[in-house]
Amino acid sequence: MAEIKDEAFEFLIARAGLDLNNEQKAELKGIYAGIAAMAERVRKPRGRMAEPAHIYDFTEEDLA
Amino acid sequence: MRSAIPTIAEAARAIAAKQLSPVELTRACLDRVHKLDGELNAFVHLTEERALGDARAAEAVIMAHGPKGPLHGIPIGLKDIVDTKGIQTTCQSKLLQGNIPDADATCAEKLAAAGTVLMGKTTTHEFADGGPSFDLPAPPARNPWNTKHFTAGSSSGTGAGVAAGLILGGIGTDTGGSIRGPAALCGIAGIKPTYGLVSRAGVAPAAFSLDHIGPMAWTAEDCALMLQALAGHDRRDPASAARPIPNYTAQLGSGIKDLKIGVIHHFHETDHKVSDGTQRGITAAIGTFRDLGAEIREVQLSPLQDWLACGSLISITERAAAYEEWARTRLGDFSERLRSRLMLGAFVTGVDYVQAVRRRRELRAELQAAMRGLDVVLTATQPAEAAKIDAVPKWDLFGPPNFTMPFNVAGYPAISVCTGFGEGGLPVAIQLVGKPFQEPTLFRAADAFEKATPYRDRRPALVGG
Repeated sequence: MAEIKDEAFEFLIARAGLDLNNEQKAELKGIYAGIAAMAERVRKPRGRMAEPAHIYDFTEEDLA
Repeated sequence: MRSAIPTIAEAARAIAAKQLSPVELTRACLDRVHKLDGELNAFVHLTEERALGDARAAEAVIMAHGPKGPLHGIPIGLKDIVDTKGIQTTCQSKLLQGNIPDADATCAEKLAAAGTVLMGKTTTHEFADGGPSFDLPAPPARNPWNTKHFTAGSSSGTGAGVAAGLILGGIGTDTGGSIRGPAALCGIAGIKPTYGLVSRAGVAPAAFSLDHIGPMAWTAEDCALMLQALAGHDRRDPASAARPIPNYTAQLGSGIKDLKIGVIHHFHETDHKVSDGTQRGITAAIGTFRDLGAEIREVQLSPLQDWLACGSLISITERAAAYEEWARTRLGDFSERLRSRLMLGAFVTGVDYVQAVRRRRELRAELQAAMRGLDVVLTATQPAEAAKIDAVPKWDLFGPPNFTMPFNVAGYPAISVCTGFGEGGLPVAIQLVGKPFQEPTLFRAADAFEKATPYRDRRPALVGG
């Protein structure tokens, strides 16, 4: 199960601009593994050419 | 009429025949609100004067010229994340107490133009996320079939209000199941239309690329009538689809002979095994569709967990971006549940997000391929009957995956319809999914099912059902 080091955790929280108390930090740290597992699950061997969804065409208004 | 509470279609016919007065209909709904909503909490804000004014205006026009359409004089509710001009829109949050929008959301505007009667703003989870919270300015809605139980969310007030007959229809929004979940647990119908079909303009975002607006009502036919008024291109919504709008009720009653339905057995039998009651409902529904002449096949997709991971990462990130400013400056003003969800945004990197959006393209292509030669796919909407309201886990995001998120990820239309009642006497449901912009086919299948089964004849006991 993925764990996050205290230093990395504090960096991410600070970078997000969140002001958390110790209880909130402990709870959030406890569920980090769930997010890490999701992030792992969406990574598949797909190569560099695979485009994301939602690459939109230009609209009629763009072309007007 | 099958019940003392009419459906929209029944009320519309009676109004057109001048056998039912919109004012009487509205007063009957208001009477039920006054009698029941102290227990149900379906409304955050009841607009009684506006409702009676709308009803009187509708009645005057109808008496003089006839109804402008089937929604004329019909009492509805709007989820409280839908902007309403001059009427408070709080998103059930401390952050927006006293917020009075100066314009209607497009969906509110369209329903008003269709002649509906606005009964009020219905209960939601805070900003349409987080679950039932008891630390918000208003309490969570309760399930009319048993008020100790949850409605599901986040369109909880609309679900409870329709089931109890406080309104005949209403607006829900759906980012990972927030229309279909309450529809299932409250025993009503609710459709998440194709992404882009109904404008999101003026509706508070949960996650921009997963958000859908749609109708909730007692029957699929009523949802079709409402969608007719709601669908259409809107320049105020950058993702709005510019497509011709079909007649959503034209196929109703034409039968489903030769309709090809694919069942995603592994979603509800393996990936997240549903309760016995829900499984019985699914099995019986498949039998009903077969008896009605549909061809049943099996469909295999990526595991439900893959869809949930993709949708959740996108949802967490887009929500964190939308509410970043408040999360940085007023985090303590959110409910505990939503605050916790917003904090998760710190853990998702930009690369994680893009990988999720790349996965999204693959998953959508997979669904597209699986539906080749099919009209509809079928799975569960919810894993079981409603849980008790105080037993809803805070971190359900990391529990067994839900059945609704895949179709937010894909943007495909999906409707929940009631398949009866489980061991606890609460409703269970199935989810039918169509191809993009093929809502008429979905309505045809859902309506045929409802008319072949007795579940639309029974209302919750507290309304004399």
